[in-house]
Amino acid sequence: MDVELAKPFVKAAMDVIGTMAFITPRPGKPFVKKNTIATGDVTGLVGLTGDGKKGSVSISFQKGCAVAMVKNMLGDDIQDILQDVKDAVGEITNMISGQARAGLAEKGLVLQGSTPTVIMGDNHSITHIAKSPIMAIPFETDAGNFTIEFCFE
Amino acid sequence: MATLDGFRDKDFLEQITVLNEIAGSRDPELLPALIDLFETPTGDTGVDYMVVGALNAVLGSSEQAVVGGLTSASLPLRTLCIRTAGEYAFASAAAPLAHMAKTDADPDLLIEILASLAKIRPAGAESVFRSFLTHEDSMLAAMAMEMAGVYKDPLALPALMDALRAASQGDHVERCDLTTWKAIDALAAIASPASIAFLVEHVHHKNPTVRRIITDALVRLGEAALPYIEPVYAAGTTDDRILACNIAGFIGARKGADALVRAFDSRLFTDSNVRYAAFEALGRIGTLKGLVCLVDGLEESDELILMAVVTGLERHAAPGVLKTISERIAAGTPNSPRICRAIIASRALRLFQELYKDDLVGDHLIDALRLSQDQEILDAFSQRLMEIGSARARADAATLPRAKAATRKALAVDDSKSMLALYRRILTDLGFETLLASNGQEAYAYVESGEFADVVITDMNMPVMDGIELVGKLRGSLGYDDTPIIMVTTESENSQRDVASKIGVTAFVTKPFKPEELKAALAQLLGD
Repeated sequence: MDVELAKPFVKAAMDVIGTMAFITPRPGKPFVKKNTIATGDVTGLVGLTGDGKKGSVSISFQKGCAVAMVKNMLGDDIQDILQDVKDAVGEITNMISGQARAGLAEKGLVLQGSTPTVIMGDNHSITHIAKSPIMAIPFETDAGNFTIEFCFE
Repeated sequence: MATLDGFRDKDFLEQITVLNEIAGSRDPELLPALIDLFETPTGDTGVDYMVVGALNAVLGSSEQAVVGGLTSASLPLRTLCIRTAGEYAFASAAAPLAHMAKTDADPDLLIEILASLAKIRPAGAESVFRSFLTHEDSMLAAMAMEMAGVYKDPLALPALMDALRAASQGDHVERCDLTTWKAIDALAAIASPASIAFLVEHVHHKNPTVRRIITDALVRLGEAALPYIEPVYAAGTTDDRILACNIAGFIGARKGADALVRAFDSRLFTDSNVRYAAFEALGRIGTLKGLVCLVDGLEESDELILMAVVTGLERHAAPGVLKTISERIAAGTPNSPRICRAIIASRALRLFQELYKDDLVGDHLIDALRLSQDQEILDAFSQRLMEIGSARARADAATLPRAKAATRKALAVDDSKSMLALYRRILTDLGFETLLASNGQEAYAYVESGEFADVVITDMNMPVMDGIELVGKLRGSLGYDDTPIIMVTTESENSQRDVASKIGVTAFVTKPFKPEELKAALAQLLGD
C-alpha cells in the first residue's frame, strides 16, 4: 500500500526541514506523474529496498528554497554555495530517509536506504526505476517550492 | 532470563544485549518496564530505537496489551499499538480501531488507524473505509479507495465514479491527482459490469496520465474487459477506437483479435490511424485469423501502416506468410518498394533474412536499404548480411553507405577560448555532440550532473582544477573507468607525461597540432 509508505516520508520531510532549516513547508495536493523530470533544480535521491520490494524517494528543491535552507542552517558561514547546497540537500535527504524508515520499522516494515545522491542542474531529469505511476507531493515555502516524489513496487 | 532491572545504569553493550534478548524471548512480564523505557527514553538514539523494536516484539505476543494500548493517554504508545495491531493482524483490535476511525480527527493518526485496519481486514469493515472516500485529506481518501477495491465494495462505486468525473473538469485536467489514480485502480479491482463500462467510457481522458492509468487498468483486467472494448470500434470517436485497439493488443487474447478482424470485415476502420493501431494490435496477438488480416494489410499504401503490418508479420513469420510477402515484392507493383522500405525501417531482420534467399526480392530489399539514413539500421542489416555469410551477402554488405549522425558526445576542456572553438569544429566534423569546459572543475560538473562523454580531450595546465586532477577524478567516477582521455600538452610539459599516464590518460597529443592529427588520434582510440 503505497500511501501508507509515502506518508511517513512526507511527515519526516516536514519535521526535518522545519527543525533543521527553520522553514515551514505547506503541503499541496498529491498528484501522479508520468514523466521522470524533476520539478526542481537540486534533487536528493535515496533508493530503498526491503520486504521484497524496491523503490526510490526523491526531494527536488527549487534553487531559492535550497539556498534559503543552507543560509538558515549555516548562517553567514557559506564558503562555496554550490558545495554547501549539495551537502545540505544530501544531509536533509538522509535525515528524512532515516526518520521515515524508523517509523516504518515500528510496523515491522524494515527498509534499507541507500546513501543519498544529490543531483544539481536546472530542470534536470531524474529517473525513478518503476513501472507503476510516480506519486508526487508538492510543497510551498516562502523561499520557493519543493516536491517529494515517491515510487515503490 | 533477561531483566530490565537497573537498565539505565548499564553500559551500551549490556543494554543492547538485553534488548536483543527481549526481542527474541518476547516475555510479556517485561511489558511495564519496557513501556516505562519507551515513554521516558534513555536519550541514546541507538538504544531508544532498539527499545521500540523490543517493545514492538513483546506487544506482538500480547494481543490484549495491544488492544488496551489503543486507548492509552500517551500518543506515542497509542500510535505504536495501532501499528502493532496491524502488523500482527490482531482480530480483537478491529472493533476499537473502527470506532477510533469514526471518532478521531487527526489525519496523521487516522492514516495509521486505517492502515492498521486494512491489514487486519475484518469482515464488514468496508463501511469504515467508505466513509473516507471523499475525505479532504488526499492520502486518507486514496487509502480508502484502495480498500474499496480490496473489498470489491459495490457501494463505493458512486464516489469512485465521481472522483474520475471530477478529474475531467476545469482545473483538474492539467494534473492527475493521487485520488484519481486510486479511484481508477479501485474501479478496475471491483470489476463489475458497471465499473468496467465506466472505465472504457473514460478511456480517452483529456489528461495523458489519467489516460495511461485507465489503459493499464483495462489491460490488467484482460479478457474481462474485452466485451466492453468491442462496441467502441463501431461507436467511439477516432481516438477512442485507437485506444481500444491498443488495449486489445496489450491484452493479447484470441477473443480480442477475433473482434478486431470482425471490425475490419465490417469496414469500421476507415481512418488510417485506427488501421495502424488495429494492425499493430493484431501483430501483437498473432492468431491465424489475425495473420490473414495482416497479410491483407500489405495492400496498404501508407508507409506507417505498412510498418505496423510488417512488424506484426515479423513476429509470426510463418512459411505461408513469407511466400505471400515475397510474391508481393516480386510483383513489381507500386506497393512493392513501399513494402521493402517498411521492412527496412521497422528493422524486420527475420523477414529480411528469409526474403533475401530469393535473388530478385533480395535485390529489391538491398535497394531499399541503401536509401536509409539511419546508421543503426544500416549496422543492424549489415551485421545480419555478414551472419548470412554467403558471397552475395558479403558483397551486398560492402556496398552499404554510412550515415552521419551526432550520436556520440565529447567533452573538451581548455582554458583557451580559441582552442575550445577548434575542438568544437573538429569534434562536430566527426559527428560528436560537444560539451565545452574552461577548466577541470567545470568539466567535472558535467560529469556530476550525469553527463556522459564517449571521449574526453583535456589541456594539462588550467586554473581552478588542472588536467591531471580532472583525469584522476574522472577515473573514479561511475562510467568513466575506461573512457578514452586524450591529453593535449606542450613540448615543455612532456616531462609530466609519466604522471599523467599513471593517473589514467589514454593518449597524448602535442601542441601545436594539425586538426588531422587529432582526428587520427580520435579515430584510433575509438576504433572508427
